[in-house]
Amino acid sequence: MGQLRLLMQVAFRNLFTSKINILIGGIIFFGTLLVVVGGALLDSMDSAMSRSIIGSVAGHLQVYSDDSKDELSLYGGMSGEPDLAVLDDFSRIKPFLEKHPNVKTVVPMGTSGALISSGNTVDLTLARLRDLYKKRAEEGESPALRANIDSVKSHVRQMVSLMEEQRNKSRELLSSAAVDPLEAEALARARTDAFWDTFESDPFAALEFLENRIAPQLPDGDLLDMRYVGTDLDSFQRTFDRMEIVDGQPVPQGKRGMLLSKFYYENFLKLKTALRLDNIKQEKDLNQKRIDTDPQLQRWVKENQTQTREILFQLDPIKTRQAVERLQKVLGNQEPSLEKLLSEFLSTTDDNFDTRYQQFYAELAPLLDLYRMRMGDNLTITAFTRTGYVQSVNVKIYGTYQFKGLEKSAMAGVINLMDLMSFRELYGYLSPDRKAEIAELQKNSGLKAVDRANAEEALFGEESGNSLVAEATPGLIEDSKAFEGALGSLRRDDLAARVYSQQEIEQGVALSAAIILKDPEQLQQTMEELKQSATAAGLKLRVVSWQQAAGLIGQFVLMAKLVLYFAVFIIFIVALVIINNAMMMATLQRVREVGTMRAIGAQRSFILSMVLVETVLLGFVFGAGGALLGSGIMSALGSAGIPAGNEALYFFFSGPRLYPTLSASNLIAAFVIVLLVSAISTLYPAFLATRVSPLQAMQTDE
Amino acid sequence: MNAAVAQSPIVSITNVTKDYTLGKVVVPALRGVDLQVHPGEFISIAGPSGSGKTTLLNLIGCVDTATSGVVSVAGQDTKQLTERQLTHLRLHTIGFIFQSFNLVSVLSVFQNVEFPLLLQRKLDKNQRRERVNQLLEQVGLAHHAKHRPNELSGGQRQRVAVARALVTRPQLVLADEPTANLDSVTGQHIIDLMKELNQKEGTTFIFSTHDAKVMSHANAVVRLADGKFLDRLSPSEAKRAMAAGAEGH
Ligand SMILES: Nc1ncnc2c1ncn2[C@@H]1O[C@H](COP(=O)(O)OP(=O)(O)O)[C@@H](O)[C@H]1O
Ligand SMILES: [Mg+2]
Repeated sequence: MGQLRLLMQVAFRNLFTSKINILIGGIIFFGTLLVVVGGALLDSMDSAMSRSIIGSVAGHLQVYSDDSKDELSLYGGMSGEPDLAVLDDFSRIKPFLEKHPNVKTVVPMGTSGALISSGNTVDLTLARLRDLYKKRAEEGESPALRANIDSVKSHVRQMVSLMEEQRNKSRELLSSAAVDPLEAEALARARTDAFWDTFESDPFAALEFLENRIAPQLPDGDLLDMRYVGTDLDSFQRTFDRMEIVDGQPVPQGKRGMLLSKFYYENFLKLKTALRLDNIKQEKDLNQKRIDTDPQLQRWVKENQTQTREILFQLDPIKTRQAVERLQKVLGNQEPSLEKLLSEFLSTTDDNFDTRYQQFYAELAPLLDLYRMRMGDNLTITAFTRTGYVQSVNVKIYGTYQFKGLEKSAMAGVINLMDLMSFRELYGYLSPDRKAEIAELQKNSGLKAVDRANAEEALFGEESGNSLVAEATPGLIEDSKAFEGALGSLRRDDLAARVYSQQEIEQGVALSAAIILKDPEQLQQTMEELKQSATAAGLKLRVVSWQQAAGLIGQFVLMAKLVLYFAVFIIFIVALVIINNAMMMATLQRVREVGTMRAIGAQRSFILSMVLVETVLLGFVFGAGGALLGSGIMSALGSAGIPAGNEALYFFFSGPRLYPTLSASNLIAAFVIVLLVSAISTLYPAFLATRVSPLQAMQTDE
Repeated sequence: MNAAVAQSPIVSITNVTKDYTLGKVVVPALRGVDLQVHPGEFISIAGPSGSGKTTLLNLIGCVDTATSGVVSVAGQDTKQLTERQLTHLRLHTIGFIFQSFNLVSVLSVFQNVEFPLLLQRKLDKNQRRERVNQLLEQVGLAHHAKHRPNELSGGQRQRVAVARALVTRPQLVLADEPTANLDSVTGQHIIDLMKELNQKEGTTFIFSTHDAKVMSHANAVVRLADGKFLDRLSPSEAKRAMAAGAEGH
C-alpha cells in the first residue's frame, strides 16, 4: 500500500516536472482525442447509414435463392446486375420466415435496372406526323386534322432549319473533312422549299426520307440508367415508413404502376435548363455561393446560355412565336431569334438571377414540358433475358416518392418502385395462368402483337402525352423457364385497370425478400437461426444482412473505419517510437536517481513498477484529458449536428445533418489502445532502468 | 569500545583486489587490502585521490564486487549472494550517505527519509511516521518535513541524507566523502551529527575523507595509498603522519 502510494506519488510528481512527459502526454492526449472523435463519428455514420439502407429498401435482412451465381447487390454491383436465381413462390417463403419470433414483416422484391433512352425529338415528332397521316388515310381529312398536320409539319420544318444552323456552327469548329457530305446533302434537300411543296403528294415517302436520313443526324437523347425495385407496393409503403408520396398519388392497391423517386425525377427527367436554374438557386440560397466567384455556378450559367437546343426543339412554331414575344418583352429588345433571346435571357448574374428565375417559371415554363414524363404517363420498359428473349411492359407512372431525411440523397434517390406483377411480366416470371390472362386481355382489346421494331411507333402513336422507352440492361436475370411467344407490348388500358388480389401478388416469383425485425439488436442471431431453419426445411435460401445486401455501399463505412484505424495505427506506431525514445531519454536523465534507489535497497522490480506506473498514469491522465475533450466535442456536435454539405453525404448521414453520439465502447477502445501503446512503448526503457547499477549513484559528475 | 572489539567484525576484508578494465587497459584500484571493522566503530578511510577509497567503500556497500579476495558484511560473504540478496542486504543492514546527497528531488524531506522504510515494508504508517519524525528531530529538520530538497541548503540536504541512512537502524553506515560538497563549518556539523548518532545508537560508521580535520573525530583512520592498505592509526597519529607526508612532498 505504502509502496504503491509512493510509486504513484513519484509518478504523479514526475508527470508535470518533466518536459518529456509533457511531450508524451501530448501525443497520448491527441491520440485519444482522435480515437474517440474519429471512432464515434464513424460509428454514428455507420448507424446513420444503416438507418438509410435499412429504412429505404434493404430492411434488416435480405433473403434470396441459394442457387444464385452472384451475391445480392441492391444498389447494383461492380459489373452490372448480379446473376440471381429466383425464389419460385414467395407465398411459400413468407410464412416460413414469419414463423421466426423476431421477424416483423417480409416484403417481396426484385431489383433490376434498365437504360432509358429519351428517344430523339425529331423521331418523336415525325412519329406523331406519321400517325396523323395514317389517320387521314383511314378517316379522311377534316379541317381540324389538316390544321394539326400543318402545325406538326411546320414544327418539323423548324427543326430541320435548326439542325442546319447548328451544323453550320459546328462546321466552323470542325475541319470540313469531318463533315459527312451525304448528311449535308440530305439536310440541304430537306431545307428546300421544293421538298416541302411536294410533301403532300407522297407524305409517307417524304416521312421515310426524314426518318432515315435526317433524324439519325441528331445526336440521340441521352441514355439514363434507371434502377427499379419490383415489390408489393402496399406492403413496401407500410414497412418502410420513411417513404412519402410527393407528386401524384400512390399506386392504388393491387394495381400495376410505378412510383418514381423524386430525386430521380428532378435530377434526370427535368428539363436541363430548368434543373440548372434550380441548382444555381439552391447553391445561392443555401450555400451563399455567388455566380461571379464560383466556377461551378459559372459553368451552369454558361451551359444554360449555350445549350438551348432542348428548348428550341420542343417548341413548335406557334409556341416559338409566343416565347419570342415574351422574351422580347422581358428583355426589352426586338431580337427576332429565339436562340439569341434565350441565350441572353439565361445570361444570369448575381444581380438579375432571382428575377430571371422567377420569369423563367412564369413566362417560359408554361410553354414547355418541364419534365420528360408526367404523372399519369406510361413508361415502356424493355428487358432482355439472358437467352435473348425480349419483353416490354408498359407501366403507368402514378407519382413520385421520397424517403424522409434522404430527399437529397442520390444513393436512396436512384431507386424507383414498380409493382411486382409488372416486374414478373418483364422478366418472364408470370405463371401460365397470368400469361394466358394477359394474352386474353390483349386479344380483346384488338391489339395485334407488335414486334419490337414497331413497338415505339405503336407507343408514340398514342395521343396521350409523352412516353419514354426503357431498355433493361441485358441478360442478367436468369430465365430458368423459357416463356413462349411472348414478344408483346401490352395494351395498357385493360391491364392497367386490372386489380390484383394480395394472394395473386404473393403467389409467384420474387428475387429477394426484405425482412424487418422486431429487435434489430438480435440481427446476427436471427440471421443464423433463419439460415439453419431454412436448411432444415430444405429451402435453399441465402440470408444476408442489410450491409451485405447493399453491396459496395454497405462496405463503405467499414472501409472508412479501416482507413481510420490504419491512420490510428500509423499514428500510434509513430507515437510508440517517440514515446520510446523520450522514455529512454527520461531514463538516462534519471540514472542517478534510479541508482540511488537501487543503492539504498530498491529491487529491480520496484524500479520496473515505478517506470510502468508512471507511464500508465501518464496514459490515464492525458488519455482522460483527450477523452474528455473528445466527449465535449462529440456532445457539442451531437446537439448541433454536422451539416452534410455535400448531397452525396445525405445517405451516409441519414439526412441533412448527422447527430453523432458517443458510445462507451468508443471511450473504452480509446483507453485500451492508449494504455497499450504507452505500456508497450515503455517496456524497453523500463527494462533499461532496471539495469541501472547502484554504482551510478556514486558518480559525482554533475 | 572494548566491548565492541570483542564482538565479531561487521566488515571483514581479506586480501581483496579490484581491477577496472578501461578498454584493454587494466587499472588496479585495490591491490590486496585487509580490513576489519567492528560494530560501533567510527572509522575514517583516508588517502589521496585515486588511492582506492571509493572502490573500497563500494565493495563494503555491496554495490560492487571484488576481483579477488573475500568481502564479508554482517557475517555474509558477498561473493556468495545473488543480486536480490545483495539488494536485500543493502536495504536492511547498510545505510548510505552520498557525496552529493542524492535525494529524490520530487519527494519531500519526509518522503525521502521514509523511502527506505517503505521499501522494507516492516513498519505500518504510524510507526513509520514516528520513526521518520524522530530522525528528523535528531538531525534538526523537524520543521522542514514538508519541504522539497531544492528548498534546502547543502548542509540541510546532507542532514536529510543522514536521516535517510539511519532511519532503518542499519548496523553499518557508509559515507563516501560526505563533506566534500560542503563548506568546512557545515561539514564539521555533519561529522558531529554522525558521531553523535554513532555514540547514541551504536551504529558503525565508515566514511572516507581527505580532510584531516574531519578525520580527527574517528576512532581510527585507515590509510590507503595506491590501492594498498598503508596503516591503521589513531586520529592524532594520522594527523602527524599526514603532516609529515605533506612535508616530504
Ligand atoms: N569505474 C572505473 N573504471 C576505471 N577505473 C576506475 C573506476 N573507478 C575508479 N577507477 C580507478 O581506480 C583507482 C581508484 O579510484 P577510487 O576508488 O575512485 O579512488 P578515490 O576514491 O580514493 O579517489 C583510480 O586510479 C581510478 O582512476
Ligand atoms: Mg572517491
